Amino acid sequence: MKNAQRREPVATTSNETEEQLLVEGVSKKFCRSLKRSLLYGVRDIAAELSGRSRHSQALRKGEFWALDKVSFRLGRGESMGLVGRNGAGKTTLLRLISGLIKPDAGRLRVKGRVAPLIALGAGFNPILTGRENLYVNMSILGLTRKEIDARLDEIVDFADIGDALEAPVQTYSSGMAARLGFACAVHTDPDVLLVDEVLAVGDLKFRMKCYRHLAKLQERGTSFILVSHNPHAILTVCQTAIYLSHGQIMAAGNTASVMSQYEEDLFSISQAHTNGSLRLPEKSTRESLGLDITAVNFKDGYGTVLQAPLSGKPASVCISCKAHREMDDVNLTVAVSNLSMENERVLYLSSQYDNQPMSIKPGNVELQLHLPYCGLSAGLYSAKIVVSQATVNMLDCVESFRFRVSSNGITEQNLFYQPRNWKASSL
Amino acid sequence: MKTSSPNRAPSAAEVVYTPASDLRHPARLFVQMWRDLLASRGLAWRLLVRDISALYRQSFLGFAWALLPPIVMAAGFTLAGKANVITVEATQLPYPAYVVLSMILWQTFVEALHGPVVAVTNAKQMLARINFPREAIALAKLGEVFFNFGVKLILIVAVFIWYQMPVTWAASLAPLALLSLILLGTFFGLLLAPLGVLYQDVTQGLTVFTGLWLFLTPIVYPVPQSGTFATVVKLNPVTPLLVTTRELATTGVVSDPHRFLVVSALTIAGLFMTWVAFRLAMPFAIERVSS
Repeated sequence: MKNAQRREPVATTSNETEEQLLVEGVSKKFCRSLKRSLLYGVRDIAAELSGRSRHSQALRKGEFWALDKVSFRLGRGESMGLVGRNGAGKTTLLRLISGLIKPDAGRLRVKGRVAPLIALGAGFNPILTGRENLYVNMSILGLTRKEIDARLDEIVDFADIGDALEAPVQTYSSGMAARLGFACAVHTDPDVLLVDEVLAVGDLKFRMKCYRHLAKLQERGTSFILVSHNPHAILTVCQTAIYLSHGQIMAAGNTASVMSQYEEDLFSISQAHTNGSLRLPEKSTRESLGLDITAVNFKDGYGTVLQAPLSGKPASVCISCKAHREMDDVNLTVAVSNLSMENERVLYLSSQYDNQPMSIKPGNVELQLHLPYCGLSAGLYSAKIVVSQATVNMLDCVESFRFRVSSNGITEQNLFYQPRNWKASSL
Repeated sequence: MKTSSPNRAPSAAEVVYTPASDLRHPARLFVQMWRDLLASRGLAWRLLVRDISALYRQSFLGFAWALLPPIVMAAGFTLAGKANVITVEATQLPYPAYVVLSMILWQTFVEALHGPVVAVTNAKQMLARINFPREAIALAKLGEVFFNFGVKLILIVAVFIWYQMPVTWAASLAPLALLSLILLGTFFGLLLAPLGVLYQDVTQGLTVFTGLWLFLTPIVYPVPQSGTFATVVKLNPVTPLLVTTRELATTGVVSDPHRFLVVSALTIAGLFMTWVAFRLAMPFAIERVSS
């Protein structure tokens, strides 16, 4: 994997903009064993103090590259998304950019003030009031007293914590503390803002406010690096993106194409379990509750099995079962969550809710959930399928049936498929 | 919502991070150190106010905690001396006053010594996430040492009045000697601080070691004049600084000015070097702390 599919890792569309951040061949190594890691730390300190080279380019025993020759540039006012699985090196990259740790190879050039949104409410003391903590927090982020005074009203307004400002932070809800922390961080007027998964805090209203504020900062020339597991956040905010895997840049450039490669890779890992249909071993009579699911798949309008349903086209979820007796009042429930979007539940369909219970005869039967068109947008999903009798009597279930929805055309910006027609008519 | 500032010109300040040791460019390093020291004053003050107000808001006895240890210590040793459990040579001052004053100085030294280590340990998470002038947390702790000494000053005044001890002109020099003592503590503390981030042993060892160190310093006994123990006590760098501070404040006669000046000079030089070391070492210590 090392070099074969590695592209020239330069992520930029606009070379003419002024440079805010330049990362050239940066590498960083880490060690998983704590004891050894601490020992290496002491040795590195000794080497640094003696002024000699610490031979950082070579791996010592037990070390691995957390970041491996990463290069990119970020212009003024540009924003870049950073995606990758846990442990891909995203946070390490942000820590290097903020100057917290030194690179082991390569070099970083940063212009202006870097504000990390990785540290919401750093230095908050629970005993002190919100106001006192606000001052401390902003001082840590590098503002003078005067600058804080000037921004105070705006921050308090943004955090929307009202009278709680004069109460100790330990009486705050976690959402309130996070809002105050976020408000502090975004009001530091940074040149480069590093946003690490923090937009997940607060309620929807606050999140929308954050995005609006980020857009405003961007207009003023602030550059961003946004780390998120939510592709929508990245697609709406960032022009370019980088996909990191095991410390290496797998893809860089236009956000949509990087995201689609990232999702494809996510999918390929789970493909072994899915490829659009699921077969289950037969149950023994002792385990059986009267009805067993034997297979799950998707079929199109003509009864052909689909590898992946197409967004906007008809599809049926077909559950093959083996029934041991005649049953009335059988219900099917399909709950779908979006794997690409933090497992958010997107559908909960139940024949019971629709008041359409089914009756089955003994033998092999197929329960069908017919969708006149598949409303899910392209992406990776997981469905929980439950067959039950009457209201509570569960007969069998599939915890996770993973499937992919593909699409024709451009759908990245859509949360769901909207059936539509276009026409012009004279009045 | 108001807008806090119009379109700003991009900041010209550019930072370059490379694997090479910062010692390769000493001039640049010193400029940065000076800039960071200036930048950290405001932050240090904020942190100091935060720590002190949090401490006293959560405490019922408050200031009493600064005064109790020397009093308890003095009472204990005075009783032990009277009961002949221990034998102490005659001191120039009334013995309880001698112990109280010395204990206050010793405690101030110990606070200065533990300060940097405690500061970086407490601020570990903050250090691992935000890049701010790290001098600030050490400065804030130094401020706390001065604040605590200010509180103890009440006790010192009380002792002077109670034992009717005269104050000489030399007492005006005592703050300088005290500063020297505090800087010595900061010097050792700052040296250990980066290691303290990595290993718990530093904090543990420091506590044990200061317990022993107390008895190698003339606090509950006068400076011994002969024997191996006298040599050990004299080699102890705290001895000349602490004794000189005490002498300036009370009798006004400095017994060993030469040794005091040498140790003070070494302290200042050492502190500067430790500051450089602290700066260089912290990124490597932080690297090993998860954020």
